[in-house]
Amino acid sequence: MPILEVRNLIAKYSARGPEILKSVSFDVEDDDFFAIIGPSGAGKSTLIRCINRLVEPVSGEIFFEGQDVTKLNSRELRSLRRDIGMIFQEFNLIDRMSVMDNVLSGRLGYTGTIRSIFRAFKKTDIQHALALLDRVGLIDHVDKRADELSGGQRQRVGIARALMQDPKLLLLDEPTSALDPKISREVMALILEMARELKVPCLCNIHDVNLAMEFCNKIIGLQDGVKMFDGPTEDMNEERLNEIYAMEVL
Amino acid sequence: MNSVASPSDQARRDQAFESLLLLRRKSNVRRSAYYFVLLALVVWSIQVTIIDDTDWERMGSLGAVLKSAGRFIGVDIGLFPSLLVPAIETLVIASLGTILGVVICLPATWFGALNITPFKSVTYPLARLMMTLSRSIHEIVWALFFVAAVGLGAMAGIFAIAVRSVGFIAKMSAEAIEDINPGPVEAIKATGANTLQVVIFAILPQVLPQILGTVIFEWEINIRRSAILGLVGAGGLGLVFFRQMHTFNYHGVTSVIVAILALILIGEVVSHYVRKSII
Amino acid sequence: MGVFVFIVWGIEYLDIPLDRLFGMFGRMGSTLANRYYPPDIEYIIDADYFQYVIETVQMAYLGALFGLALTLPLGWFGAYNVTPSRRFVYPVARFATMGFRAVHEMIWAILFVSILGFGMLAGVLALTFFCAGFAGKLLAEEIEAIDMGPVEAMKATGANLFQVVIWGVYPQIRVAFTGIGIYTWDVAFRAATVVGFFGAGGMGWYLKRNVQQIETERVAAILLSIVALVIVSEIVSAWARARVMKMK
Repeated sequence: MPILEVRNLIAKYSARGPEILKSVSFDVEDDDFFAIIGPSGAGKSTLIRCINRLVEPVSGEIFFEGQDVTKLNSRELRSLRRDIGMIFQEFNLIDRMSVMDNVLSGRLGYTGTIRSIFRAFKKTDIQHALALLDRVGLIDHVDKRADELSGGQRQRVGIARALMQDPKLLLLDEPTSALDPKISREVMALILEMARELKVPCLCNIHDVNLAMEFCNKIIGLQDGVKMFDGPTEDMNEERLNEIYAMEVL
Repeated sequence: MNSVASPSDQARRDQAFESLLLLRRKSNVRRSAYYFVLLALVVWSIQVTIIDDTDWERMGSLGAVLKSAGRFIGVDIGLFPSLLVPAIETLVIASLGTILGVVICLPATWFGALNITPFKSVTYPLARLMMTLSRSIHEIVWALFFVAAVGLGAMAGIFAIAVRSVGFIAKMSAEAIEDINPGPVEAIKATGANTLQVVIFAILPQVLPQILGTVIFEWEINIRRSAILGLVGAGGLGLVFFRQMHTFNYHGVTSVIVAILALILIGEVVSHYVRKSII
Repeated sequence: MGVFVFIVWGIEYLDIPLDRLFGMFGRMGSTLANRYYPPDIEYIIDADYFQYVIETVQMAYLGALFGLALTLPLGWFGAYNVTPSRRFVYPVARFATMGFRAVHEMIWAILFVSILGFGMLAGVLALTFFCAGFAGKLLAEEIEAIDMGPVEAMKATGANLFQVVIWGVYPQIRVAFTGIGIYTWDVAFRAATVVGFFGAGGMGWYLKRNVQQIETERVAAILLSIVALVIVSEIVSAWARARVMKMK
């Protein structure tokens, strides 16, 4: 059974606005590194935010491990979000906090409110965070403030924070768009490597087709909220790409 | 973690872990000490100001307190017609006070803007002193001062409002002037204009909208202030409030408050539209 | 603009024809010189008076602190981008902030004195309400200007409402909030020196007594001391603000 099934998903920004997603369906399997490509404004970000309901879908179903995400109450939603790590285009780190605290914030879903006020995380959490920071190559920057780091380093903190959740699925929202090409490749490679190591499937929306072709095993193409392509990377070709990106020329 | 680490990695990580724990504990201790001092001050202040100073006997039980608070619920509708004149008075005091304030502001702003102040070492500190004095003294104190000087009545209120407004308007205006684009100033100077001409043709056009915005903003605040100056004898709604309070007409007190709120609302609406039309 | 001035002057003629007083600055000066000079400095260099000064400071401290404590929920609920409910909580918080703010601190003081009796409790509560209204608006505006990215990230980790605010919002406004706190202290102390005038404790009470007994030279001394204290407090807070700005 696929870990994530999306069925006939429809989303809007405002109640009366136009549909951003027009009945999109797809499946993510346990070992997928799944790419969503398409021109900007195609609804990629909205789609990925519907999975953990940072954007509320209008209709359709999303099954995560067989459970319909769209029907969860707020408590169930929190525990779902805890199981889904997310990495953002603009990193979304807490600039004025240390790298360590940023990584530990990935544990908030597991930590009581009082403990989180005093930043009193469990020792095992701190150990885990340290190991992750070592793994992403930031062991020497643990005490630095997040805004002292370079873009690539900041995204590595973002990766560590997402993995801190012990996620069963990773959502990547344009993880490399804010980085230069060389760093982009390194970061993508790191994500892929760690996802394989921890056996976490990834759903990645990505603007750069070359990166998608290089790192992902499955691709769906979105154009103006409609799914134009769905299949393994090998089936993607120039002609289909042109079709997906046709709108962008206009 | 499932990642495999070599032994030396492990040792290094353990060491980092220990020093990290120590650091976090240290920062926790510092934070706790900080909160503790804050809390101790609060407890001491509560002891002195609230527990010792309150006449708990006279205040009575919570029920009694609620009862005396309940007296204010309700509005004396019959009072409203007689509130119209004081309300207008309040508005006029606020407006005239603001205008007079702007007049006093002219020298203060001129002296207080670094780029146009005439004798930097003398006039600049003087202007700054004026601004600080004006802003840091409460309007009630200013009103008391002017009531003593010119006697009871609207005059004292207008002076109090004017003097109280100078600080804010002058400070904002001076800062606006300091931030202007020096290009036009140089251009006008190059034509051989004197200082006054430079101010009128190069500086004023650049800062006028901003200064007007500040004045309107201050006017809005001045309505709130002038509504209470009657409490110390400067006329307007405050005087009525005082009288209602002294005759124990609690519903009347609420009426006056409602009237003040209405006046402030009017002020807010007017200032909103005026500011829109300026920008 | 000239027309506007003219109209207002006209109204002034209708209501308060007092412009004849304009030529009387000289008399104003002589009144001051004769009755208020010299200020009775000895009167205020006095342990008893000093006690009142300390109490005024404490009153301002508590008022500012309680007000700021009240500001936290007001600012949170009244910031459109992070309010728990845009349809219910947001308008209520906005309305409460406006109400606290619109009523002048002196009116709060009089109301509390009439409900709770004379003393500093009334003063503290009046200052609390005043500060909550004052700082509430500033804080809400500050929160509305934050970057929503970290908030989204915290939500995505499965953090609850509180945790999102403490981790996603608070670090971003901490410096601004400290600034607002210092500013609030300024206005609270300024107000605290006079709330006593209506029976709410502190130095204002001293002032009131001497105004009523027409002890003008003492009044002058007290007014001077208030000005001096406020200026000292402003200098301290200007220094604190500069430090906070450097901290960033």
